[in-house]
Amino acid sequence: MHDPMKTKGKANDVKRAARLVNFMAGHRVGETNLSESGPSDDNISYSVLHGLTPSPNPFINQGRSAFDFGELEEAIVLQGVKIGHDEPKAPLFTERPAATLEMIPSWPMRFQLTNRGSSRSGEESTDSGSAHLLEPESPISSIRVSTDQQAFNQKFHMQQQQPEMASDSSRTGQSENQSAAKQPPERRRGGVKSEKVRDAKILRRLAQNREAAKKSRLRKKAYVQQLELSRIKLTQLEQGVQRARAQGLILDGASGAHANISSGAAMFDMEYARWLEDDHRRRLDIGNGLQADLSDEDLRIIVDGYINHYDDIFRLRGVAAKSDVFHLFTGMWTTPAERCFLWMAGFRPSDLIKMLITQLDPLTEQQLVGIYNLKHSSQQAEEALSQGLEQLQQSLVDTIASSTVTDGMHQMAIAMGKLSNLEGFIWQADNLRQQTLHQLHRILTVRQAARCFLVIGEYYGRLRALSSLWASCPREILLNDGNSGQANSHLQMVQPQQSHIPTFFNQFPPH
Amino acid sequence: MQYQAVESWGYYIPVPSSTAAGADPLERVVRLASESAVVIFSVSSCCMCHAVKRLFCGMGVNPTVYELDQDPRGREIERALMRLLGTSPAVPVVFIGGKLVGAMDRVMASHINGTLVPLLKEAGALWL
Repeated sequence: MHDPMKTKGKANDVKRAARLVNFMAGHRVGETNLSESGPSDDNISYSVLHGLTPSPNPFINQGRSAFDFGELEEAIVLQGVKIGHDEPKAPLFTERPAATLEMIPSWPMRFQLTNRGSSRSGEESTDSGSAHLLEPESPISSIRVSTDQQAFNQKFHMQQQQPEMASDSSRTGQSENQSAAKQPPERRRGGVKSEKVRDAKILRRLAQNREAAKKSRLRKKAYVQQLELSRIKLTQLEQGVQRARAQGLILDGASGAHANISSGAAMFDMEYARWLEDDHRRRLDIGNGLQADLSDEDLRIIVDGYINHYDDIFRLRGVAAKSDVFHLFTGMWTTPAERCFLWMAGFRPSDLIKMLITQLDPLTEQQLVGIYNLKHSSQQAEEALSQGLEQLQQSLVDTIASSTVTDGMHQMAIAMGKLSNLEGFIWQADNLRQQTLHQLHRILTVRQAARCFLVIGEYYGRLRALSSLWASCPREILLNDGNSGQANSHLQMVQPQQSHIPTFFNQFPPH
Repeated sequence: MQYQAVESWGYYIPVPSSTAAGADPLERVVRLASESAVVIFSVSSCCMCHAVKRLFCGMGVNPTVYELDQDPRGREIERALMRLLGTSPAVPVVFIGGKLVGAMDRVMASHINGTLVPLLKEAGALWL
C-alpha cells in the first residue's frame, strides 16, 4: 500500500531530475508516450490547482518530454531505487529500509533548485503538499508516479547496465508490465543522437550524483534510526507514567511536572499517598469519636493510634532520605502550596504550635506554660538546625567554587561528602517534629489531643486544597488591575467555586 | 593499679599511676567532660556540630568545645566516642555536668521535652 509519504519520495526524484535538466540541455531521450504523461498530468493538475505557472515544466512540454524523462530517469537512478517496499534491492543501490526512509517529509527541502527547478520544486512541494492533504486521492496518483518512476529506473538501467536492469525489472512487481513496455521505445530513441558523448557526460554526472545520493541516504538512515530510538523511548516513558498514575504516584499537581523520578522517590510518593488516605480515615474516626462522646479510654486508643501513624511517616521519610534526599528536600512529594512553606523537607514545628495555641482553647495555666515552652524550645532548635544547614550550604559553595581544573574531581568528591550531610539534617528535623507531636500529646488531655490532631490534619488538608484551587483558578480574578468591571464579573463567575469552602471550614469547628 | 569510679556510667576504669594526660582516650573524654559544665566534642568542619554549638549559644550557654580535628590525639577520642555512642558520626557529643547527654538528636529531644534546661541549670551553665 502506498502512502502519501512515498509520493513525497517520488517528488524528490522528480526534483533531482529537474536539477539535471539544467546541466544536460539538449539531450533528448525520446518523446513521451501516453503512459508517461500520467504523472505529468497529475503535476499539471496540482500546479494549476495551486495557481502555479508550469511553463518551465518539462513535463508539460510534450515535445521535449522525452528529454526530461531521461533526466528524470537519471535522477531516479541516482536518488536510489524505489523498486518496492517488499522487494530486495538492486545491486547498484545501497541497502536501506525503504519503508521508513520514505517517510521523512522534511527531506524535500534539501533539494530546492534554481528558478527553473524551483518552479518545479514548487510544483513538487505542492504535489507533496497536495498528496499530503488529499490523502484519499494520493495513493492512486502516487502509485502512478511511483510506478512510472520505477519504469524510468528500468529504462535508464537498460541504457547503462543492461544485465542489472534485467534483474531490476524482474524484481519490480508492479511496474513490470509498464517497464517492459517502455524499454524498447526508449532504447530506439536513444540511438539517434551522439550517444557516446552523451553517455560520457551522463557517466560523470551519474558518478557525482551517486555520491551525493549515497551521502544523503546515509544521513537519512542515521536520522531515521535516531527517530526510531526516540519513539521507543517515548513509548516507554509514557508507559511508565501511565503505570505511575495508575498507582497514584502522581498526586494532584504535586509531582506531575517531574518526569524523571527515582525509584526511591516513586516509592515514597506512593507510600505518602497511602499515608494521606489513612490520615483522612483516622481523622474521620477521631471526629466521629469526639461527636459520639466516646470515653477517654476509647478515645485514647484512637489518639495513640494517630501518634503511631505519624511515627510511621517519619520512619518512611528516613528511608526515603537515604535513597533520594533531594526528592524530600525539594518537596516534590508535596503540593505546591505546602512546598512554599516547607522547612527542612517538612513542616516547621513552631508554626504548627503557634497555629494550635489559638485553636486549642480552653487550656489550663500549666498547659499554656507547657505549650509556650514547647514553642520556645522548638524555635531554638529550629534556629540551630537552620544555621547548621546554612553552614553546610556555604561550605558546599566554597568547595565547588574553589575547585581548579586539576583537582576538580577531588573537589567534587569532597562536595559529595558534604552533600551527604543533608540526610542528617532532614533526619534531625523529622526528629524535632516527632518530639514536638509527642510532647503535645503529653501536655494535652485526651480530648484536647484529639481535637489538636484534627486541627493539624485540617490545616494541611486546606493547604492541599489551596494548591488545587490555585491550579484550577484563572489568574485574572486575582489580578485586580485596570478594568474593575471585568474583575467583578470574574469574581461573580468564581463565586460558585468558592461556595464549598465555608462548608469545608465548618466541618470540624474548633468550638 | 588504681581504679577511678566513673559516676556517670557506673563502672570502673583503670587509671595508670601516672595521672598524666591519660593513655586511654575514653578516660580522657571523661576527665575533660567533668572539667566544665557543658562540654561539646566537635569537629571544626562538621555542620551538625555547628548546629549544636549554635543551639547552646542561642540559649545563653557558654559551652567548652573540643575540636577533635585540632587535637593531636583526636582520632582516638573520636573512635572512643563512636564506641560509646554506637553511632556514626561520633560528633557532636554533649556532656552536661560531667554526664553524657548524647548526640544531636538526644540533645534536641531533651530540649523539646523540657529536661535540658533543668539539667543546664543544675550544672550551673544557665541562670534564670
